Order: sequence, then C-alpha cells, then structure tokens
Amino acid sequence: MAAPTFASGSIARSLDWGKLAPLRLRARALAEGIYAGAHKSARRGAGIEFGGFREYYPGDDLRWLDRRSLLLRDKPLVRQFETETDRALRLIVDATASMGYRSKTARGTKYAYSALLAAALARVAVVGGDPVGLSYIGGSLKGKGRMPVSSGREAFERVVGSLEAMSPEGDAVVAPKMLDDAIEGIARTARAGSIVVVLTDALDLPPEAPVHIGSIASRGRVVVVVQILDPDEATFPFEGTMVLKSLEGNVRVESDAEVKDRYLQALGNLQSAWKTQLVARGARWVTGTTDEDPIAVARRIVTSFR
Amino acid sequence: MTILALAIGLLVAAPYLAHRLRRRQADERAFPPAHLVPAALPKARRRSALEDKALFSVRTAAVIALALLGATPLVRCSRLSLARGGASVAIVLVLDDSMSMRAKDSGRSRFERAREGAREILASAREGDAVAVVMAGTPPRIALAPTSDIDAAKSAVDAAVESDRATDLDGAIAMAEGLLQKQPHVDKRAIIFSDRADGRVDAPVLATGIRVWFAMPDLAKDAADCALVEATRVGALVRTRVQCNHASAFSGREIVIMAGGKKIASSLGPPGSSAGDAPLAMEPTLQLTPEAAADPHDLVAQLTGSDAIASDDLAAVVTQGSPGALAVVSYGRDEAVATGGPPVIEQALAALKTGVPATPLPVVPDRSEDLAPFAGLIVDDPPGLTPEERRAMGTFLDNGGLVLLALGPRAASPPLGASLLPALTQPVRWGQTTVTGIDPKNTGFFGESGLSLENVEARGRTTLADDDQKAFDVRATWKDGAPLLLKRAVGRGEVWVVTLPLSADESDFPLRPAFLTLLDAFAAETISRASPQRTEVGLPWLLRGKKVEGKGPVADADPTKEGPPLTLVKDGPMSRIVPGLVGAYVFTIDGKPERRVVAPAPREVDFRPRKVPDAALDAAEGNGHPKMDVSWVLALVLLALFAAELGMRAFFRSRSESNIPPVSVR
Repeated sequence: MAAPTFASGSIARSLDWGKLAPLRLRARALAEGIYAGAHKSARRGAGIEFGGFREYYPGDDLRWLDRRSLLLRDKPLVRQFETETDRALRLIVDATASMGYRSKTARGTKYAYSALLAAALARVAVVGGDPVGLSYIGGSLKGKGRMPVSSGREAFERVVGSLEAMSPEGDAVVAPKMLDDAIEGIARTARAGSIVVVLTDALDLPPEAPVHIGSIASRGRVVVVVQILDPDEATFPFEGTMVLKSLEGNVRVESDAEVKDRYLQALGNLQSAWKTQLVARGARWVTGTTDEDPIAVARRIVTSFR
Repeated sequence: MTILALAIGLLVAAPYLAHRLRRRQADERAFPPAHLVPAALPKARRRSALEDKALFSVRTAAVIALALLGATPLVRCSRLSLARGGASVAIVLVLDDSMSMRAKDSGRSRFERAREGAREILASAREGDAVAVVMAGTPPRIALAPTSDIDAAKSAVDAAVESDRATDLDGAIAMAEGLLQKQPHVDKRAIIFSDRADGRVDAPVLATGIRVWFAMPDLAKDAADCALVEATRVGALVRTRVQCNHASAFSGREIVIMAGGKKIASSLGPPGSSAGDAPLAMEPTLQLTPEAAADPHDLVAQLTGSDAIASDDLAAVVTQGSPGALAVVSYGRDEAVATGGPPVIEQALAALKTGVPATPLPVVPDRSEDLAPFAGLIVDDPPGLTPEERRAMGTFLDNGGLVLLALGPRAASPPLGASLLPALTQPVRWGQTTVTGIDPKNTGFFGESGLSLENVEARGRTTLADDDQKAFDVRATWKDGAPLLLKRAVGRGEVWVVTLPLSADESDFPLRPAFLTLLDAFAAETISRASPQRTEVGLPWLLRGKKVEGKGPVADADPTKEGPPLTLVKDGPMSRIVPGLVGAYVFTIDGKPERRVVAPAPREVDFRPRKVPDAALDAAEGNGHPKMDVSWVLALVLLALFAAELGMRAFFRSRSESNIPPVSVR
C-alpha cells in the first residue's frame, strides 16, 4: 500500500499502528514483561475511606452506583474510595498531529507507540487493582475520549477502546489550550500517591508546558513525562537537500544534511530544558524512540515511579 | 505562420514550465521538529540551483535545436554566395593582390577578407559550375584556368598571397572576359574582390563587357598612407621621393637612412607639409657624412612611424651611375647649335622620364671598366670604333649590355683602323635617298606612333653590307624595303641599329613621335636587362645567363638578412621573373652578383576607388543571405545535448540520492 504523503492534507484519520497492532494483545504481552522485570509494586496500602462522587461511565461497577444521587439529581454517579484515588494511574497521551509521524524504520507512529505503552501501563494497574484514568492532549475525539478514573477489567477495555478510537489531530502550537484541558482536571482532582504519566513527543507543546506539567508533581503525586520520538527525529539521518515541514505550527524549512549536528544540538537543548524544569518540580523525565523495544521503555517508566 | 510561431514559442516555453514544476516537487517531507532544523547553508542552496539551471539550460537548448531541426533543414546566413537560377554558372574570381589590399581594416588586411569572400563564393558552387581565378595585380595573371574542379579552385584561392603590385582592374577584367568567352555556360560572371584603388579615380567608369559583381564593396575604404617610392644615392646625397594620399599621414614622421642596421642620416619633412587631407608629394634630400658615405653596406631608406601599409615605408637605395644607367655618346657636336641646348637624343630621354638615368659621354669609353656602370649605350653616328673601344664594347655586350647604334655619314667614313665591330662586321655606306616614309606593313615595332613615319624624310640613309643585314632581325623598313631598324644579339647583349643618324639636320626622324617610341622601348629593354636598377613592381626582368639564381627581398628590407630564393622561369637563354614585392633582389648570374631594386607604384598610394557601373555593386548579383543545410549540425548538437542531459542527471543523482526515503504519514 502506498503510504500517504504529508502533502495529501491533514493526518489520516485511520491510525497507522504498524507492528504494534493489535493493541489489546500487545498491551497484555507488554504488561507481562513489565511484571517479569518489576518485582516491587508501585502500589501502597489499601483503604475503604469514601473519597467522593464522580460521573458514571459505562462499564463502571454497578455496585458503586449511588442510587440516591440518581434519584435526587437524575444523574448517575458512582462512589469513590480513597484506595482508588490515591493509587490511581493517570495517563495523558499526546494526540496532536505531530504524534502521527512515522518514519520507515519505526515500528509505528509515535501515537501508536504511546498508546501501546499507555495500554500496557493500564493493564498493569488494573491487574494490580489500581484505577486508571485517561485523557488526551488534542486528538480527533475532541475531548470525548477522556476516561475518568476507574478500575476493574472493564477499565482496561475502556482504555484500550478509547486509545484505538483516537487518532492524532490538532495543533498545540496554535491552540495551547489543548494542554490545559488535558491536565487541568488532573491537577485539581488527583490525590497524593497518584501516578501521572504523560506520553508526548514534547516537540510542539507550548513553551510553558514543562512548568504546567511539572506543577502536578506536588502534594505527593508522581509525574513522569515520557518523550517518545521517532528514530528520524532522534538521529536526523537525511542526506542531500530537502524541504522539511512541521506537522504543527506550519513551519517550512529548506535544509540539507550538513545541519545534522546543529539540529541534534537544538534537540538536546530542548530535552535538557524539559528535564531541568520537570526535575526542579519533582517530576521525572524518560525518553524513548519508537524503534526501541517497548518493554524496555515501559520498564524505564515503571522504574521511574519509585 | 502565426500557428507555426505559436508552436515554436510553446516548444521553447515547455522546458521552462517543466523546470518550474520540477522545482515545486523538490524533496519536501514531513518532519515534526522542523522548527529545530536550521535553514540550509547557502552552499547547499547554490548547488541545488546550479544543477537545476544546468539541466534547465540543456533542456532549453535541446528543445530549440529540435524546433529548428523540425522547422527546416535550411537556415539563412550572411555568407557570400552565388545567386543562381538553377543552371550551372561559369565564374571568374578576380582577386586583387595589389599593394593597397595590404591595408588593414579591423585587424585583417583587405586581401585576407577578399580571400575569405572568395572561399565563401566557392562554398556555394555546385557540380557543373566552372571556376577560374585571376589575380588583378600588375600584370594580371591567371592563377587557375577555368575548371569544374572546385577543390582545385579552393586550393588556388588558398595559395594566393599578398603582393606590392599595382592594380590593373581593366586588364584583369579583360582577362576574365577572355576566359569566360570560351565557356559553354549561359550564365557567365566575373566576381571581383578588390578595393578598386587603382589610382585612376578620374578615369571613365570601368567598362565591362561581361556580367561583373564587386562582391565586397566595403573593401573600398580610405586610409592614410605614405610610400617611399624612390631613394637614389648620388655621391654623398640620397635623394628620396615620398608620396602620401593625405598630407596628415606624414605628420610626425621622418626619413632615415640605414646602413647595416644602423641609422646614418635622417630628415624631417618640410615644415607645414604634414597637415590636411590633400595628397602630398615631396622629394627630400639627405646628406651623408663622409664616414656614412664610406659605409660599404647597402643603404636602406625608411619612413618612420606607421600607416595603412608597412611594406611601402622601406626602400632600398639605388646608387646613380651604377649598372642600369644609360650612356649617351653623341658625335653630332653641332647639334647644340640646332637645338640651342643638349643634343636631341638627350632632350628626348629627359622628356620621356623613363626613370633610367642618362649620362652623356663625349666618346665611347675605351676601357670596359668605364662601361661597367651602364646597362645601355646609345651611340649616335660614330666615326667608327678604335680597337680599344671595340674591345670595351665587346665586353659590354658579352655582359648583357644593350647598344643602340645610329649610323650616319660619319659611320660611313671611319678613319683608318676604325670599324663598327663588334656590332657590324662590314663597313657601311651612306648615300642620298629619295624614298619617303617607311613601309606601313612593318610598323609593328612602333605601334600607333608608326603612323608618324609614313612620310618621314631624310637627306640620306645608311646601307648595311648584305652579310651584316642577314645577321640582323629587321624590325622596320623603308618603303623600298631598305632596313630602318635592325636588332641582333651579340654575346648576352643586344645591338640595335638605326640606319639614320639621330640628328634633325639629316632627317626629321628625331622629330617624329616614333623616335620617342624607339627610345622608350630601348630604355625599357635596358631596365629589364639592367642590374641593379630600380623598377616599378610588376615589371618583368629578363636575365641572360647559363646559371641564374636569385633571392627576393626580406620582409623588413633589412639587407643583413637573406631573402627567400626566387623561382625563375627559363625562356631560352633568358631567365624571366616578375617581381611582386618591393625591396632589393640579389641575383647571381654566371657567378656574377647583381642587385636590383623594386619600388612601389606611386598610384597604389591613392586609395580612392575607381568608378564602376552601379549594377556591378548591386548585391542582387550575388546573394548576401544564402541558405545552408545545417540539419546535420543541428542533429549532432541535439544528440550531444541529450547525452549531456543524461550525464548530468546520472551525476547529480549519484550525489544527491538520500539513504532515507521521504517519510510517509498516515
């Protein structure tokens, strides 16, 4: 099949999963790998203290459906407990247009790779009894793909279903509000002990993004920002003269292979800036490329929780 | 026509559009962190632009070549060619190799341009055409008789060289006419490559009996030039004669005398003579110092500075009284009473201005050394010759001298011991005559002037012995058949005998124009035999000798250098050569050296063109815009361009091929 080119318009709606499909099976296998490598769980303690209400989401355990609220407000709510909220895994997946990039040597697009990691982490959390929540930066579902924190086998299915339904879209450079939408609720509701994993390429987010994301890492919350890059982005293997066009921000540059060192230096500066600002706020910085073994990347993420 | 132009325009525009389209499809690829990539270095952009432009140029040239090739196999050009109606043509190419054609216009001499024009005409000749080549320098010569071998004609044109000759357009055209008359072609033409500067600007319009085309009228241009036409040494004086077509051409120049490469005398022109456009003629005289006069080297006069023609700025100096002059011995002492001055013969020679210096002598020299400076000897009514005089004259004739013997009453009554040997072996007789006029059938020697002798009268005439008369070649006779003019070779020389004395008292022959013709012919013969004598370029020399060798002048007239060997034409006992270059010629005749000098023709300095019929200058006679088949050239160019395109593509592809293909995004 001929690969669609950039010039054909916006990113294709159907996601190029590459070798990462089917996501469900891959995520389970990946989760097994994570278990095999991680002998110490990130989860701590257990409790049954009431933690509040949240909106019902199809698939929630009906045992926790608050019938009173349904009768009083005609709106389904479920009861939350401290054990869920404190150990919840919050996944924020960057689904802006740049995440749809895939070079020929990559296993799949950056979004597909991020989705695999997110699903695997969700699987790990669900199997361990921890709740999982999911939100996106950008994306084709325009906020509808967001999934509140929930637990159980259904939660994993919902996470996978949402990830599969989403495709990269949107320009965070021209619409910086995308980032705020993704992290605002988490910053407000996540309890201490929550683990927030942000899967992004960190290339086209607004300059204040590291500050905003890093600010979540307060009140005992663990924040890990995972930068997922395509191998081409990490190595700049091009030769000859070319015209490069960004997927966000409408940047068009005529260049050639001789600028490789300068590009890599600029990329290194960007990563250094992110890492510096995140670490200063207690967050972690993990990097990976889509040609890497996802198990290794996932282990680096889990390891960074400690 | 409009559609054709539109199609050609479209073809030319097509590569440009293709080029632009190609540029739009340059390797553009998606790359999210594009904002982190620095813009391309100028070097890379230049390389890209360079290869684009090179390919674009090659494509454009290829399409233009294709359009031309498809439009027509013929293109028009500005080369000379023949306008023809379809039938084959007989042409005579008349190439002017006179001195004025040496003048340079825009770095090339007129002769070179004319020769190139002749080549272009020959390039348009076809099979069946007859071509001849005539040179228009004096004397006109046939360089190639009419032939259908075009290659031979090209070779003849290539072999033509510049010379210092005078121009003889009339003679050359007459010669061309004669050549064309014998050709069977219906279309006959003479194509003339000349600047028409023959010094006869006031002459009537050039008469042409044939179809004539002056193919390159732009050759006729004015140019400033001065010529050193004469340099004669008389003792310690060197008399020179300078002729300029514009007085301004002499501005700032001087005449110098060189000996052995050293300057020994110089002279500026007369003040005020070197301005304006009027022609200038002057005869400056230079004085040699005693030391310079004793210099054994041959002298060369030189005009400093530069002008249109360099070769006429040098002149070998002739020493007056040296071999080549005429000695005149007139025994009619009482002539002075009749003419009130010099004898008739001396006055006639002065009036003729033959260019041969005439020296009067009281008697025939009795030593051969005394006759050595002369080439001709005119003896009027000698009372016989003494033994010493006979011996001296015999040596003189053996060495190629020329003797004109006018016999009168004194010759018929020599003193004891005197005779007319070696000219005549028997005594002559003088007697009264009543015969009037010469035989009109025998006036060929005198030409038109022979009519003046139809009623010539004389008191008496000389009669030769029968044996002597048989030994002579009779050139003119009286009406009764008695000889008037006889010629005979003696040794390497020649004896001319006139049976009348050159005295107006004895006959009215010296008063007739035919007398001047006789003296002129004798002077001309003397010039042709004399050595070393100054002659005008283009006049033939006859050299009598068993073994004759010669060397021509060097380009810069430097006497210290040896010129190229000459090719002499043997004609019986004589060797003949027509010098075409000015300067000094050195001959060795039977071991004896002779030096001869050739001077330029003064009329060649006049660059004003001769009047010719307007039709002869009409470009329609030829065709200034012929068509040439260049399809094969275009085809080759097209192939070369395609090869260049392929080569460049391969080269640039190998350089710019990326290991990473463009990214696909879904």
